[in-house]
Amino acid sequence: MPVVDVDPDELRELTGHDEKSDDDLRADLFDLGIEFEGWSEDDEMQLEFAPDRLDRLSVEGIARSLRYHYGDDRGVYVPSTNSPEWTLVAEQTPEERPYITGAVVRGLDFDEDSLESLIQIQEKLHATMGRQRAKGAIGVHDLTMLKGEAGRDSTGKSIRYTAVDPDEETFVPLDSDEEMTPREVTERHHMGADYAGLVADMDRYPAIYDEIGLFSFPPVINGRRTEVSEDSRDLLIEMTGTDQWTIDHMCNILCYSLSARGAQIERVTVEYAEDAPGEHAGRTLDRPDFSTKTKTVSHERIESIVGVGFDEETVIDFAERSGLDAERTEIGDDELAYEVEIPPYRVDVLHPLDVIDDIGRAYGFNALEPEYPDVSTVGGRHERSRLEDAARDALVGLGFEDLLNFHMINEEENFERLGIEPGDDVVGGGRPVTIAQPYSEAYTILRTWALPSLMMVLENNTHRAYPQHLAEIGLAAELDESENTGIAEHRTVGAVLAEAEVSYEDARARLQALAGAFGKGLETPPTEHPAFIPGRTAVVVLDGETAGMIGEVHPEVIVEHDLEVPVAAFELRLDALR
Amino acid sequence: MKLPRAQVAVLKTADANEYRAITDVATEADLQSETATGAAFALAEEGLVTVTEETDESITLTEEGEQYVAEGLPERRLYDAALAAGADDDPVDLGTLIGDAGLDGDAVDIALANFARKGYGTVDSGEVAADPDAGSKPDAERVALEAISEGEGVADALAAVLGDDSQTDAEGVLDQLERRGLGDRTESTIRRVQLTDDAVTALMEGVEAAEEVDQLTPDMLTSGEWRDAEFAEYNVEAEAEEITPGTEHVLRQTANRVKDVLVGMGFQEMQGPHADAQFWINDCLFMPQDHPARTHWDQFALSEPDQIDDLPDDVVERVRKAHLEGVGEDGEGYHSPWELDVAKSLDLRGHTTSLSARYLSGYQEGELDPPERYFSVEKVYRNDTLDPTHLLEFFQIEGWVMAEDLSVRDLMGTFTEFYEQFGIEDIEFKPHYNPYTEPSFELFGTHPETGELVEVGNSGIFRQEMLDPLGVNVDVMAWGLSLERLLMLMYGFEDIRDVHGTLCDLQLLRDVEVVY
Repeated sequence: MPVVDVDPDELRELTGHDEKSDDDLRADLFDLGIEFEGWSEDDEMQLEFAPDRLDRLSVEGIARSLRYHYGDDRGVYVPSTNSPEWTLVAEQTPEERPYITGAVVRGLDFDEDSLESLIQIQEKLHATMGRQRAKGAIGVHDLTMLKGEAGRDSTGKSIRYTAVDPDEETFVPLDSDEEMTPREVTERHHMGADYAGLVADMDRYPAIYDEIGLFSFPPVINGRRTEVSEDSRDLLIEMTGTDQWTIDHMCNILCYSLSARGAQIERVTVEYAEDAPGEHAGRTLDRPDFSTKTKTVSHERIESIVGVGFDEETVIDFAERSGLDAERTEIGDDELAYEVEIPPYRVDVLHPLDVIDDIGRAYGFNALEPEYPDVSTVGGRHERSRLEDAARDALVGLGFEDLLNFHMINEEENFERLGIEPGDDVVGGGRPVTIAQPYSEAYTILRTWALPSLMMVLENNTHRAYPQHLAEIGLAAELDESENTGIAEHRTVGAVLAEAEVSYEDARARLQALAGAFGKGLETPPTEHPAFIPGRTAVVVLDGETAGMIGEVHPEVIVEHDLEVPVAAFELRLDALR
Repeated sequence: MKLPRAQVAVLKTADANEYRAITDVATEADLQSETATGAAFALAEEGLVTVTEETDESITLTEEGEQYVAEGLPERRLYDAALAAGADDDPVDLGTLIGDAGLDGDAVDIALANFARKGYGTVDSGEVAADPDAGSKPDAERVALEAISEGEGVADALAAVLGDDSQTDAEGVLDQLERRGLGDRTESTIRRVQLTDDAVTALMEGVEAAEEVDQLTPDMLTSGEWRDAEFAEYNVEAEAEEITPGTEHVLRQTANRVKDVLVGMGFQEMQGPHADAQFWINDCLFMPQDHPARTHWDQFALSEPDQIDDLPDDVVERVRKAHLEGVGEDGEGYHSPWELDVAKSLDLRGHTTSLSARYLSGYQEGELDPPERYFSVEKVYRNDTLDPTHLLEFFQIEGWVMAEDLSVRDLMGTFTEFYEQFGIEDIEFKPHYNPYTEPSFELFGTHPETGELVEVGNSGIFRQEMLDPLGVNVDVMAWGLSLERLLMLMYGFEDIRDVHGTLCDLQLLRDVEVVY
């Protein structure tokens, strides 16, 4: 979940509520679903919230939400914008990253805090909507350091988004004094190298030019020439990415934040060349696009979801207190509904239900009286789960301590330490389901049988009193092409008897009792298995069907697990008891 | 008078004129000492004997102590060697003296430490100076060691060798021996027994032993012999041998309790694959394929096998469309790529909502006919860091209700009812965000013991973008909760690894108290 660092003094200033104490702010933020996680080293509040309201990724965004919450602001707010002077031309752009958007922002008066806030919101947008810059990357530049190329109409100024040979062009990147090629930046610039992976597969790298030359290498790094400082008053924002909607909305969120700092937003013209890749070839866009959208929300649906009755004025009031505008309308046969207008910074509203959630939050969900639903159904257990429980009860009655082990294990524990190999035609020898990027070397496959887990428990409990009669009913799995998932999953019944004097017969006696409890005829014809002592190993046959095996565990396996007592064991498929 | 055999034996062996130790009585009467003690107390109850108790302290030598009896104390050997080398006049090299005294290993350190303590002299810069007067008397510790070895009284021996005033210090010498690990002191209770006048009278009148029986046998029952038998008394207060009963694992017990509660509330149980297509795990839940949650949750992807063979085409197409275009007249989709290959790739399920998706689609058990309630208590897998409260595998309690016009209040009422069954009251609902529910709520409950507010689950009403593609046209509200979290609340476990998995501690599992 996103966390933003917010200076409470700034929050008081931006909301216009000097009288709020830190505790007041924390309580008010909690009401919005924003949780105080602690104080940062710089005495800022660390605020965490769910990743839907990305418009709250800055102190300005959080202040806006609070002002609505306090009732200081109502309804949709759209800042005014000036007509475009600058043009962003997209020409021979890289196919992997075809889109660009942007804005010009004028009249900023940065101080240390507001500049830091600008940096933070960029980072947060990159981490969330921008998917670590893969989907959208932001570049913010000092406008006075840019010299526009002559626009297509002679009055305008333009910059050009294009693709370059990674070795042919040079520029001085941020945090460096050295002229480097884009490839050199990805290879040895301390910040550039972090994002090298995003361009690694590209033949030609993304680049943005003005009249003077290359000044930005998205999504990796900006040039030093246009670096923003506290003295910067006018900015050019450009965003490139793989999806126009995403970068347009990242731009909206950023522009709303800067506007809240008193800046004037000036639109830009985005001009895609006729042969530009992507879906906008030959089109001209006016950005940022602050147009609102509407959702039609049924009154009855609001009432049925929240579970209480509302009158029309209340719904409209709650919408306005959420920063939305609602207007009465009708759908179908005179059914009361609302046209709800959504501001351009809201990226989370996909469906009318999302508006209902806003209205519910404005009403206060915690004010609702819980009510047990008047719906009658018949409950019951699944057959497999009843069978499993019956078998477990029988084992417990036979004196076994029921265990619960992990289904994940590694090859060494599952195979090697039991003396078998994947693909062996013995119990446990199935080919294992393998995990692609395991977190831990201890858990790399799904177990093919339960005996290895039980042996591990014995191994870890040699200091505990014997006898240790352990049993487990749990999942085992192996590759099986005849299954839809390619995996045969089954429940296996594993049992071990470990104590100073124990033999095959002790295991056979318990297995007999288990089989008998389920009305199964038991036969145990001799067999061989590397994990068991030859001559003391048998197949478990229930009602004529092979179900598993039983035997005395081989001393080699016992010693391998650092045990000093003999172990007798059996393992069978749960479904054989059916 | 008829008495049990052991009591008769004690009565006949004890004396009317002096107190005799019960251990001596037992030896003479050929009884176990515990049996004789038991008999003596029984006789005392009858007023036939009086029993006295006193505490006796004895000391035995350790191996090291025995060794010093034979070889002498190391510090004294060093002192003797020093005197022999003339160290009472001029300091002598320590190394030489150690050789002369035949000391090695730990004995060197022991010698040096005690040499200084006893004022035998000083050791400075590797040279030893000895005080000729210090050794004029025998060493008290040595005297005590020898006395213990010979079975003589330490205080008496000290008095004999060192003069009367040393007697008072015997306790100090013994403490010192114990500190040095040369002797072990133990305390024991000595009981003595003496006959009362009543006993003397009884003995004169004649006392005989009743027929005593150790074990009731089938023979005795059938023959009727038991009628004349006197049953030997057992020490019924003594602890018996420990046995380990068969027990159901505590987490299973908790799972079963949850299942009982849910079945009682009208829920049917679901089941389905642990390894499943991301389609059922994520795509059906309206999670965009590039959503950070798909990596944040760090689900285990499989390398072998890596794809499901087959998905229901119609459901796939509707899910794809919901992701790209949204659902409903003014619904919107995600601005994220959607690939069938990603949907078909296999993961270990990160939540059992994959089962809910399978059931809701009708793919698992056929079309559902609302109203319905379903649940599962099954394992889920997350590629996370193992720590006391997080496992790579844990159980998720999943539940949902499918009916017309469900509201947030119904959701709240269901959870309030469910959690009350586990003593967790005052459930609080915090509005939250999930890609697949709207509205969504995190559930917090008050810990019954600590009063702490803890997160107990996550819930919501499934989004249209999830339900429409699955062919569901009524409301479905759902929730998920970690079973282990509930277990820790109910039993107060602090480290879940002690309970679940191959690192489990059998003793801990054996010691778990029953909760019902």
